[in-house]
Amino acid sequence: MVIVVVAIYAWSEFTRTVRPLTDVEPDFTTDAVALIAEFEANETEADKKYHNKIIVVNGMVKSVDELENTFSIALGDTNNMSSVRCVLDSNLVSAAAGIRRGQVIAIKGAITGFKKDDTGLLGSDVELNRCVIE
Amino acid sequence: MRYRIKAKDMQQRNFVVTVILVLSVTFVSAQDKFFTKNGRISFVSKGNIETITANHKSVTCVLDSKTGVIQFSVLMRGFEFRKALMQEHFNENYVESDKYPRSEFRGQIVNNSAVDYSKDGVYEVKVKGKLTIHGVTREIENDGKITIKGGKPHAASTLVISLSDYKINIPGIHRDNINNTVTITIDCPMEPLKS
Repeated sequence: MVIVVVAIYAWSEFTRTVRPLTDVEPDFTTDAVALIAEFEANETEADKKYHNKIIVVNGMVKSVDELENTFSIALGDTNNMSSVRCVLDSNLVSAAAGIRRGQVIAIKGAITGFKKDDTGLLGSDVELNRCVIE
Repeated sequence: MRYRIKAKDMQQRNFVVTVILVLSVTFVSAQDKFFTKNGRISFVSKGNIETITANHKSVTCVLDSKTGVIQFSVLMRGFEFRKALMQEHFNENYVESDKYPRSEFRGQIVNNSAVDYSKDGVYEVKVKGKLTIHGVTREIENDGKITIKGGKPHAASTLVISLSDYKINIPGIHRDNINNTVTITIDCPMEPLKS
């Protein structure tokens, strides 16, 4: 009996797929400009705080990029090169239709880290993936 | 009076010529650099039990067409797997994303003069530089392709790396499932960098 239970558990773990975030409660809700400022002020502390967290970010759309049906939305201040960059969940891309630059939206996603710009040309980014539009 | 008008005309003409020159120099220098923040990297590991694949959709790439200097960078936590457990093992046990959150390549297109960035076409290139994964930096050389379409370059390459070269240890229990050799595919369509 114990062996069967262990085997079922092991199999379910082995085949467990990454969950869509649609119904997942966020750990934090914040604003894009504030989130960028937090990482720029102290990357180590911000990394610790948001490590493996699900976050809802409110902000102005700076750009919507589409590449082979993958949508990436940049949120933040249009006068600042730095952004919160959100890659939409590939199963939920239809939600990106109609989103335009300048629109204020909320996006929920899994935070993957801070990519500090070391070229001085591109701006730094807080990156999120598996994103859904709230 | 006529001389004064002529002198004024000349001044205006000189001003217009200067403005055109400054604008064209700015335009040319802006067109030298290209970038993307939405490039793709995927990797495949063919183990005895199953094939593991992962995709990354937020690759940053910057290319200076004048010098051939090219740079890629990714956040390791951004790799997406189909299976949750694989993603967890990848980040926690293999590449240790907390310790080494970023991987990058900094290098140079060796035969950059063979690429005509102003002419549509597919150009075979050789790239040489330093690849850093898991905190280990190694000198690599690889073939790639630059495709120019409508004045925009698209960088693509496939390279094969050994996990052991980058001190990525696979525990014994998973060695049948994860091959030490991993094939990485890079695909980065770029836009002009507007400065």
